[in-house]
Amino acid sequence: MNPELDLTISRVIRAPRDAVWDAWADPRKLEQWWVPKPSVGRVVNLDLVPGGSFLTEISENKGEFAGHIDGCFLDVVPNERIVFTTALVGGWRPAENPFITAIITFADHPDGTQYNSLVMHKNPADREAHIGYGFYDGWGTVIGQLAERFEG
Amino acid sequence: MAQYSQLDDVFQALSDPTRRTILRRLGEGSASVTELAEPFDMGLPSFMKHIRLLEKSGWIRTHKSGRVRTCSIEMTRFAMVYDWLAEQREVWESRTDRLEAFVTKENS
Repeated sequence: MNPELDLTISRVIRAPRDAVWDAWADPRKLEQWWVPKPSVGRVVNLDLVPGGSFLTEISENKGEFAGHIDGCFLDVVPNERIVFTTALVGGWRPAENPFITAIITFADHPDGTQYNSLVMHKNPADREAHIGYGFYDGWGTVIGQLAERFEG
Repeated sequence: MAQYSQLDDVFQALSDPTRRTILRRLGEGSASVTELAEPFDMGLPSFMKHIRLLEKSGWIRTHKSGRVRTCSIEMTRFAMVYDWLAEQREVWESRTDRLEAFVTKENS
């Protein structure tokens, strides 16, 4: 774990593990939570096998769909683990703009499901890629953080 | 207070979808004004107002060579307004919030 490049999120979700898995593995379900409203997400490819394509698109302000995530699954164990990277695209082909590798794990917990994400980033200096990839998602946050500074 | 008025400009610059699209495009690399204007159904004078506002608020730099004005993103502006890893954390935290809301609603 590199504190400057990696982030982890641990959450206990009060739902059965197979339901949490299904929200990831069913493209129609994934696109309901993958991007923040009012943006609309579209799952183009969700080929949950090693080397499979993970391709999502996003529409902001009811505009045309634009690229969001274009990556490749590295490891998939149903109900347990999903690993994907944007360093590769489908079929293991090297990506133009590598940015993250994410390890998502699902485990039983007395209250439901222990859901963890470890997201490893390429390089903090590589901010151009960050803006290209993260700008839509980050938009609300930028406003939130700026607002905090105003209020603070 | 000087810092606040600067943030006003930053807010204003980001408050418009055209300017956000320009920034997103420039996040992929530098481009000429002509290239940037191409997707928009807008006259050049109107488009230049957006470019000037982005430049004035420090989001972009422009450089004129002959007849071509090239724009590039000003990374220090992004660094000033947010810590990129904190922002990525927020992206993943809120994504997890939405997953949680989705599955708990589905299973309630």
